[in-house]
Amino acid sequence: MNYSDLASRLSQIGERLAKQANRLEGEILGRSAGKLASHLDRFEEQLESHLASRKSREVFLENLLRSPTSKKHLTIALLKKASREVCAKRLKSEDLAAAKREFIKLMHGAGKQDLAVEFLKEAFATAVRVESGGKDKALLQREFIRLGQLLDEEFAKEISSRSIAELRRVATVNGIRFTDKTDRQRLTTLVRRYAQRAAFNLPAARVPSSRT
Amino acid sequence: MSSKVLAFINFKGGVGKTATVVNIGATLVALHERKVLIVDLDPQSNASLWLMRPDRWREHVARGRRSTFQIFDDALQGKNRFDFDETLVRGVVTWTGFTDLPRLHLLPAAVELLRIEDRIHELRASAIYQILDSTLGTQFKQYDYILLDCPPNLYSTTKTAIFSADNCVVPYVPDYLSLSGFQVLAEQIIEMREKFAPYLPGRRKPNIGALIVSHYRQSGNVFRLAVNELELSMAALRETGVLPDSAILLQPCIRHCVRVAESTSEHLPVILYAPGSIGAQDYADLTQRFVDLFEGKK
Repeated sequence: MNYSDLASRLSQIGERLAKQANRLEGEILGRSAGKLASHLDRFEEQLESHLASRKSREVFLENLLRSPTSKKHLTIALLKKASREVCAKRLKSEDLAAAKREFIKLMHGAGKQDLAVEFLKEAFATAVRVESGGKDKALLQREFIRLGQLLDEEFAKEISSRSIAELRRVATVNGIRFTDKTDRQRLTTLVRRYAQRAAFNLPAARVPSSRT
Repeated sequence: MSSKVLAFINFKGGVGKTATVVNIGATLVALHERKVLIVDLDPQSNASLWLMRPDRWREHVARGRRSTFQIFDDALQGKNRFDFDETLVRGVVTWTGFTDLPRLHLLPAAVELLRIEDRIHELRASAIYQILDSTLGTQFKQYDYILLDCPPNLYSTTKTAIFSADNCVVPYVPDYLSLSGFQVLAEQIIEMREKFAPYLPGRRKPNIGALIVSHYRQSGNVFRLAVNELELSMAALRETGVLPDSAILLQPCIRHCVRVAESTSEHLPVILYAPGSIGAQDYADLTQRFVDLFEGKK
């Protein structure tokens, strides 16, 4: 059922009740009507509070603080910063859950839910915009393909002139997992194997030029 | 904000098209306050069954009447029986019995869509391409995003979606079979664009805008290497002009998450079913990048 369905049902009941009101009697019906009236009181209260907080964006702020993004990116430090920057107040709580409650109360009191939402959304967005790897990444990926296309002797010669740090950078950027204990020989084997695989798996085995 | 029409395509099945559409759609509504329409074009009706209980779905789409099937059937029969408002499902019903996410709308699919492919060739090619656009184009304007969930093929229904779209989004699983299929897909889209060109005056031609990786597992080398091979492949395809320079791999990759699978049985997007799960977190981050990309904030 959606809220429109509920609204039409209530209207229909209201209309019927209004028409028949003078003919209704008896304890059973009266008791049931009493229960409905008290449920309606509670519902009306909830509805009013929801509409008011929706208008003031308090609901959205609460939802944002409960959201998956918040679970991943919200820290107490960020919340404190938000509080300082949005309404120049310091949060006292040191526990995240309590700080969230305090923050909502503070923003609601200052009427700055809108600004709080904007601040947090921007902070979360910044946290999400992970480093792409940039120019270096593209270069090291091209290098990886080139290494994969070399003959064994060419590869051995090429690799002998590289430091282990260089090899590690090529491996890291190209998704090869290794540990601090992985020695040069093992790393060379890994780079060779996966670079060859990447080279023959590429569409038409083309080496991307330096255009990108 | 102007409407963005995005076709989620991949002719490989099981790559997470529906999961991506449903969960990005729901996250756009819940966290970004956007108004979203999901158009289910797959006869398997997975997006519809994800967001609707099966009994409600069966009743709603009985004989295909209130479903996307009607749009195609009307085109074939030369009739005008599709009623947008009647077909539209507004919000998702939660365990309270009431709807949530009221700004998430769905045009459900029906299995009758299976019959369409056999008959659609009775129409002229240009008429086929324009079916969705001519029926829904005006309705699209009331939404921020229109997400077209396509079947796992590149037949006529998918072509109509690509024709209507501003961009295509390609969900992808990190393995070689997907990689090899991706090149073919990118080439097919170029071919389609050429065919569509005479019928798309003054419009931006649809192209691949983003790739999204799902079913990702962090353990070992396997998936990291496969994603790297995808990036290498994208670079090579950009070089040859098969892929536009603007096409990107949207991060983060969606990690495998049992709560997402479970949410299908609850007929809820993961952000409502398990907002604390890694699935919901990944979709929330991905949706932020999605907004950055398609609203020009990257």
